Order: sequence, then structure tokens, then C-alpha cells
Amino acid sequence: MTTITADHHLDHAHDHHDADHKPAFFQRWFMSTNHKDIGTLYLIFAIIAGIIGGAISGLMRAELAHPGIQYLQTWANIQHSLLGVEPASLDQAYHLWNALITAHGLIMVFFMVMPAMIGGFGNWFVPIMIGAPDMAFPRMNNVSFWLLIPAFALLLGSAFVPGGTGYGAGTGWTVYAPLSTSGSAGPAVDMAILSLHIAGASSILGAINFITTILNMRAPGMTLHKMPLFVWSVLVTAFLLLLALPVLAAAITMLLTDRNFGTTFYDAAGGGDPELYQHLFWFFGHPEVYIMILPGFGIVSQIISTFSRKPVFGYLGMAYAMVAIGVVGFVVWAHHMFTTGMSVNVKMYFTAATMVIAVPTGIKIFSWIATIWGGSISFKTPMVWALGFIFLFTVGGVTGVVLANGGVDDVLHDTYYVVAHFHYVLSLGAVFGLFAGFYYWFPKMSGKMYNEFLGHLHFWVFFAGVNLLFFPMHFLGLSGMPRRYPDYPAAFEKWNSVATHGYEIMAAGMGIFFINLIWSLAAGKKAEGNPWGEGATTLEWTLTSPPPFHQFETLPVIDDTAHH
Amino acid sequence: MPISRGRTETGEDYIAHDMRVFVAAAPRGYGVEDAMKKVKSLVLAGLLALAPTLVSNGPALAQENAATAAPAAENAAAPAESAANATAPAAQAAPAATVAAPPRMKPTEGIGMPKPGEITLQEQFTSTGHTARWLHDVMLLPLIFAISIFVLILMIYAMWKFRRSANPVPSKTSHNTLIEVIWTVVPVVILLVVAVPSIGLLADQYKPAPKDAVVVKVTGYQWYWGYEYPDNGIPEFVSNMLPEDKAKANGEPYLLAPDNRLVLPAGRPIKLIITGADVIHAFAVPSLWVKMDAVPGRLNEKSFTIDKPGVYYGQCSELCGARHGFMPIAIEALPPEQFDQWVLSQGGKPATAAAAEKTADAAPAADAKI
Amino acid sequence: MASLPPSPFDRDRRNRRTLVAMAAVGLSMLGLGFASVPLYRIFCEQTGFGGTTMRAAANVQVQQATGHTMSIRFDSNVQPGMPWQFYPEHRTDTVTIGRKDMAIFIAKNMSDKPVTGTASFNVTPTQAGAYFTKIQCFCFTQQTLKPGEEVRMPVLYYVDPKILQDPDNKDTQQITLSYTFYPVEQDGKPS
Repeated sequence: MTTITADHHLDHAHDHHDADHKPAFFQRWFMSTNHKDIGTLYLIFAIIAGIIGGAISGLMRAELAHPGIQYLQTWANIQHSLLGVEPASLDQAYHLWNALITAHGLIMVFFMVMPAMIGGFGNWFVPIMIGAPDMAFPRMNNVSFWLLIPAFALLLGSAFVPGGTGYGAGTGWTVYAPLSTSGSAGPAVDMAILSLHIAGASSILGAINFITTILNMRAPGMTLHKMPLFVWSVLVTAFLLLLALPVLAAAITMLLTDRNFGTTFYDAAGGGDPELYQHLFWFFGHPEVYIMILPGFGIVSQIISTFSRKPVFGYLGMAYAMVAIGVVGFVVWAHHMFTTGMSVNVKMYFTAATMVIAVPTGIKIFSWIATIWGGSISFKTPMVWALGFIFLFTVGGVTGVVLANGGVDDVLHDTYYVVAHFHYVLSLGAVFGLFAGFYYWFPKMSGKMYNEFLGHLHFWVFFAGVNLLFFPMHFLGLSGMPRRYPDYPAAFEKWNSVATHGYEIMAAGMGIFFINLIWSLAAGKKAEGNPWGEGATTLEWTLTSPPPFHQFETLPVIDDTAHH
Repeated sequence: MPISRGRTETGEDYIAHDMRVFVAAAPRGYGVEDAMKKVKSLVLAGLLALAPTLVSNGPALAQENAATAAPAAENAAAPAESAANATAPAAQAAPAATVAAPPRMKPTEGIGMPKPGEITLQEQFTSTGHTARWLHDVMLLPLIFAISIFVLILMIYAMWKFRRSANPVPSKTSHNTLIEVIWTVVPVVILLVVAVPSIGLLADQYKPAPKDAVVVKVTGYQWYWGYEYPDNGIPEFVSNMLPEDKAKANGEPYLLAPDNRLVLPAGRPIKLIITGADVIHAFAVPSLWVKMDAVPGRLNEKSFTIDKPGVYYGQCSELCGARHGFMPIAIEALPPEQFDQWVLSQGGKPATAAAAEKTADAAPAADAKI
Repeated sequence: MASLPPSPFDRDRRNRRTLVAMAAVGLSMLGLGFASVPLYRIFCEQTGFGGTTMRAAANVQVQQATGHTMSIRFDSNVQPGMPWQFYPEHRTDTVTIGRKDMAIFIAKNMSDKPVTGTASFNVTPTQAGAYFTKIQCFCFTQQTLKPGEEVRMPVLYYVDPKILQDPDNKDTQQITLSYTFYPVEQDGKPS
């Protein structure tokens, strides 16, 4: 996109030492007001949460490898012995299953993808890309990050307090009433809800910070229509967070009062309606899936452009496609509720509205392909992840069109087809976007080059693994296997065991990632300011790698004569 | 081996729950019309006893039953007995013992249940199911495959053609209004084409059953299903999952097979009215294209007609707590005359009698599809 | 937009203004979340969404659609644990569309304590909710039954003749009216 001529290359600047003056360790990492340090904290946090959430999915795949209950009873007994209570009953073991699926979902959504995408890459690169010295509210930024720690602790802690039949919150990440109210006695669900409150507050603060930063802190000449698409994606995401999360906060606050203070917002006994909760949850929940994927769109746009040495095709169309996805994302929520007994007109509306989202999504996919078309493509690791993203997101997107169909959804709702769909768009979409961004910006963030061979190996092993893991889930869903089951009829064994092998391969891929990460940090080649060559046109590549502690103390001026 | 329609196969583990539900369920009401029902069903029972199907089935059934723990008559009365615990006087006096239930139907491998390694939708046995499966298999699946392959081919071609070694100087093109309009309009057109049959399917799914449909009240409990036939005077009985050994002994798939099935007629319109007693459950039978949430405090309805007799399995499809995965559903669709026989064996009155009773309902029989 | 470098003072002021505006947006969404409770109820009551029934005054004048009838089914539920018997006097009834009709539900307290109950309700098919109008119903208020007491509770209702013009209801032959009784406990918390 825009050719940027920053007049101030800090890597040549004489004030380098002042700009790079760092505070002492505790001051720097625990009371940080520096967007890059906070971004790093977010990334470390997301990696740790990702390991935990990924390990939980490993437990689930191990249990599901074959019909019958293999390990669940043992794990529940371990959980119980840690707590010093008597061994778990079978029902308590089943409850542990529900606690595992709940934890996996909440961790991956709120503590892995969101912190990595928005908190991590957003914090690191939004200010730099718009030529700002830092975020608008650096202290609030710090608060946003540190709120995540108690939130995560509450969620993890909930696994060890009673939550109904057994220990932990076994409500699913959707926390539907009345299972989450009258159906789950004990403090576990309260803790999980509070965890969501705190994580939500953190995200709302972060969203306000990003909006203010992007609207007010742009360098001279950096108009909205010259902003890199990653900044656009974070801007749209921040608005989605600001509009959606308060509704979730209200919804789960009412869950808490229903649970603890005798209100009946969602209880038919007092004139409430459990379906109101679902409406409120999905009013938040559907934009939430775009919150997770939109920054990925932004990252992929930057990478595709960089490694094709071409500006992004149809820049304005790309930016406004994201805006359109964000807007339409608010009026389609009830497609998650097709089997609740809504009337035919409502179902028709939500079917049609949902399908509309395919149009801006298609614009994005074709614009990415048009960007590489005619380019001069180099297949560096970030590029292969971005290309993988485009294809896998397409696959996940088209199954979304199938699911959007209210009539077809009657059989696919709450089956593994849905699991396959949202893992294709999130686990293969958002996560591929995360890895693409990680490899793309790793040299910039760390000052070290990653190992290209290991990066490619990681990609191919991970690609094979996740496809083997999630593609067979389409088959399971079509033939009727419901979600959230710890055991299944023998007919489902074949594809379940294939999926578990897929998990093993994916886990091996993650192993390669961590080897690469450690090796690169320890022994990676020193990275130049711009390791990617002339295709990398955004402002972060005008700085040293890693950038100085304070960048742009004199604001860069973006050349007005530059064209897209 | 076809075994008796036993009411005693409830796993020991679940007995406590059964008692609870019977206590709760019994007050669901036994109206004053029960006396009438008894007389009519007596007459009908007598008539049906002479029916050829019964003559051929009856003795065989009796022999097979001899092998099982509970004799047929006792089985048939079991739900009524349980109901009697809760002060409901009506059902047990019905002439259940005079009519034997049809033998428990043996499921056909791969019909009404997932096939091992299956990669597509289950075979369908309702008209909505046929339409929907057609929509998925003939329209949506080829479409999404075509789109995915198209994107893949474009990508691979571009990646090959424009690799750096082949194309060292990139073009600077970043706009082409025509192509941008095309890739906006073409998806819109495709979606419109998809939308037409989708909307048709929805309308089809929501077509309510005629008023003389067989009505069954389905209630989701933690963690079993309850079935009541309000128009046939059959009080609620519950359906628990069969333990693994018993399911295998029956030749039924474990985790899909419950002890008591939801017995329905094939070829007659059916209306299920569905609610939940405690938390939200979802009543789902993939091979009938049925999935409807069972929400406490509200009623949902689902109408369909089953094409042909058979056993159709399903599972609870909304997370409902610890044993969410262990409250299966089995619909046993009987030929209509056998269904009437089953209704009699449960102490109820068959549809014909029920219809005759509704004098105010001038519904012509032709309304029904059969 | 920002073509001149803003002074830090200007920028801080603008940032604060944006912060306040965005916080206001967030707070209003929070408010909207809570406001959705009454809004949703009003929406359901106005549109019949989810099979919510309509309500009319006792003196309502309705045009009868002579010759058009609708079968009405009555369904009753009691929350497990509530010691009541509760059932309709007749399971089905056929009414002339537009004619006011009365249905009787019978409730009996099976326990030796007075029990107060309140009923939730809806109709199916849900698209018929907008046309099913209650004039008088035991579900409008709480009901208290003394130990062993049995009461006959009326529902006065009619089916709005506009249903005959609604294409979504052209196949509707039977409307099911369902009630679920819940105990009202002293502390107000449902069991």
C-alpha cells in the first residue's frame, strides 16, 4: 500500500541512547507503560495460556481416540486426590469432561487468541505502524494486561472447587442458563463468570485505548485511508469489543445474580426466559468470533503484500470489507440458536443475513489472491503461513455457508460439523494468522532471525496435523456425532482416532515451534531493521530490530504524494 | 433376537431417577375423560386381537417373552404401575394385559444410526430430511467444494507463476474496478441461488402437522427422556440408556440404545411437543432431520412423518450436565396397525378411537397422509 | 486528517475526549444489556416472538370468522418437586376463530402446606403467538392453594381472525397452549 518515507530513521539517529534507556527489571516488566514491553507480556501470557489450553485439548483427544471411557476416571481421581477428597464417581468423571471442554474454549478464546492478536501484536505494532510514540493511555494499557492474570487464575482455580456434579465449571464456554444457574451448584461457575468479567474489563479498556490511539495518535500525513490494514483490523476489532463485551458483561452479571441473589432474569419460574441469555450471549458471541479473526485478516494482508512486493490489491475494499463484516456481525447472532424453537420468519432472516457475510469475506479472499497475482513472491515462513491461512480460512468459511442455512442446521447444529467449522476458521484461521504474524515480526521484536528451515518444517507438520485433526470432524458431524460428548457409539471410532493422530502430529509441529523459538532467541542471526526487503513498507521496518525503547520521539511525516 | 418390549431393562444405576420422575410426572393429569377411554379401548382391543398381525405375532411373542425375566403383561403395565405410586388412578385399570405389545423391533445395521467411517449425512426417512439432504448433497456440498478447489487452484497457479525466480519484477497493479465488481456480484448471485431452496426447506420444516397427528409429549430430564401420549391416554414413561452389556445382548448400538423407545407410527403425521424439566436439552434424531431444544418453562413443537418402519436413533444435543452424552433417543416406527396394537398394550386407546371421541373435531380422515 | 503535528497538550485533550466518548459507548452498551430484559419482554409481548401470547381487555370486540375453526391443545407441566397436580379439563378443544372461549385447568395441592405457584406459558407453533389472545388467565397472577385444595382455573381466550390472512399460519390447524407451574418460595428464589 502506501509508500512511506519516514523522515526520521531512528537506527541512524544520534539520540539512540536516550531513546533506548530502559527502566530496571521490576519497573520495566511489572509497572510497564511501554507498549512494546506490554505487547511482549501479552505474547508470553498467550503462549502460556495456549500451552495450557492445547494440553487440555490433548487430554480430550486422548480420551476420544477410542470409544469407551479410557482416562477420564483416572484424571478425575487425580483431581480429587489433589483436593484430598474421595475418588471420583463416574458422574464426577463425566463432569470433569464438561469442565475440560469449558476450560479449553474459554482459555483459547479469552486467554490465548485475544491476548495474542490484540494485546500482543496490536500493542506492539499499532503505535509503530501509525507513527505514534506509544499508546494513548500507557498506564491503562498496563492495567489491561495485569487484569488478565487474576482472570486467568480465577478460571484455572475454578477447576478445583465444586461446580455441580463434580469439580470445575462444566457449562461449556457459552455458560447457558439454566445449566449454569440452577444446574451448577458451587462456586466454580461463579469463579468462571468473574473471570470473564475481569477479562472482559481488560479487553474493554484495551479497546478504548486502541480506538483513541488510532484516532488521535497518527503521525502527520497518516490519514485513515493510508493506515496499514493491520491497524484497520485492530480498529474494527476494538469497536467490536467495545460494543459486544459490555453486553456479555451485563448478561453474565445477571447470571451471577440469578445464581446468588434470587433474581430470575433467565428463570421461567420468575417470569424470566433462558433464551434471553442465549440472545445476549450470542449478541456478544458472534462479533467475538470476528474479534478473533479480524486481526488475523490484518496480519495476513501485511504479509501477503510484503512477500509479493506488491501493495495490497483493493486496499479500500479490504478495509471496508472488514467494517462490513463487523457491522453485519452484529445482526446475525441468532443463527447460533436455530434449534431453540424460533419461528420460521426469524429463522429465514437470520439465514439470509448470515449468508450476506460471505460477500465481504469473499472480497477479502479474492483480494489477497489478486495481491499475489503479478507479484514477485518469496516463500519465507510468514508467507507460507499466510497462504495457508487463506486456503484454510476459505474451507472454514464455506462450511459456514452450509451452517448458515437454518434448515440444514437442524441436523448439523451442535454436532462435530460445527466443531470442525469453527476450528477451521479459528484454530486454522486465527492460529495460522498468529503464527504468520509471529514469524513475520519475530525479527523485529527480538532482533534475532528465526530459523527458516524450522519455520517451514513447523508449517508443514502443523498444517498436516491440524487438517488431519479437524477435517474428519466434518464427517463425524455429518453422520450425527454431537459435540461435548466424552464417549461415542462405535461407528464414530474411525474418524475420531484419525483426529487424535492428527493432534499428535500437530503437537509435534508445536514442538518444532518451541525449538525454533528457543534456538532463535539464543543463537539466531542478528536481524536487520528490515529483513524482508522492499516489499515491507510499513513503518516498523524503518526502525532498528528490536526497535528502540522509545520510538518516534520526533514524529515521522508520511509523504502525502505517495500513492497506493 | 427380538426381545420383549420390556419395561424392566432400566439399568440399576438409574432406578432412583425413575422413581423421582414418576412422582413428578404423574400429576401431569388424567382427565375425567378416562372412563370413556377405557370402554372404547376395551372394544377396540377385542377387535384388534383378531387382527391377523396379532395372530401371527402373539404366540411368537409369548414364547420369546418366556425367556425374559418379565412376562409381557407385566411389562405392559409397568409404567402404569409406577404412575400409580403417585396417586394417579387412571391408567392401571386399562385392559393392557389383553393385548400384547409388538415385539421390540431389531434395528437394521446402518439405518437410523451412523455407519462406521461414514463421511456424509445419514440416510433420511422424512420428507424434510430428503429435501435437506438433497440441498446439502446436490447443492451445498458441490458448491463449497468448487469454491475451495477454485481458490486453491488460483493460489497454486499464482504461487507458481509469480514466484520470485520466475517474476522478479512485481506489477504495481492495485486496482481493477471491473474484477472487484465481479467478485462482489458473483457471490451475491450464488447466494441468491442457494437462498431459494434454503428458504423452501425452511418453510417445509415449519409446516405444522394436521390436527389429527399423533401427538407425543417429550420431556428432557437430567439425564433421560420422558414420553407421554396425551391423546392416547398413555401416561409418561421414561427412557434411560441401556448399559453396555444389555445393549450388546439386544444387538443394539451402545450409547444409542435406550431401554424404552419412543414408539411412533410410520406413515402418519406426528407432532412432538417438547419441553425440558430442569435444564435445556435437545431432542435430536439425525435420520429424521429432527433437532429441537427442550427448554424448561416453554414448549416447542416439531412435526414430521416417518417414511417407513424402523428404529431411528438420536442423542441429546444440548449440553445438559454430567450425563449429557448418556441420554440417547430411539424412535421405533411401527406400521400403523402395529402402532395401534402397541398403544392398546400400554393401556391406551389408538388413534381411531381417539379421533372418534373428538366429536367436535370435524376433521376428515383424508387430512392425514395415510 | 491530522496533517500538522498536534501539540502534546492538544493531543492529550483529544485523547481524554475520545476516552470519555468511548467509555460512554461502552457504558451505554452495558445499559442496553440490562435494558434488554424489559425490552425483550415488551418485544415478545408485542410481536408474539417465541410463541408469546397476546393479551386483551375483557370488553374486546372481535369479529368472528364463521366457518373457520382452530383446534386448541392444552398442555400442562409442573416443575419437578412442586407438589401440585395440574392438568387441563379437556386436552383439546375446537373453537371458531374469533369467538371467545373458556378453557379450564385444574390444579390440586397434594401437600399438607399451602403452596403458591406461578405459571410460565407459550403457544406453538410459535408463529401463532401473535394471534392467540388471552382475556383472562390464571397465569396473570400467582395462585395460592391451601393443603389439599383443588381449584378450577379458567383461561378466557380467542384466536384472532387475522391469523387467516397470515401466510405463515396457512397450515396451522392446531395451536398448543402450554403452561408450566413453578413454586414461588418465601425468599423469592426458585428452587
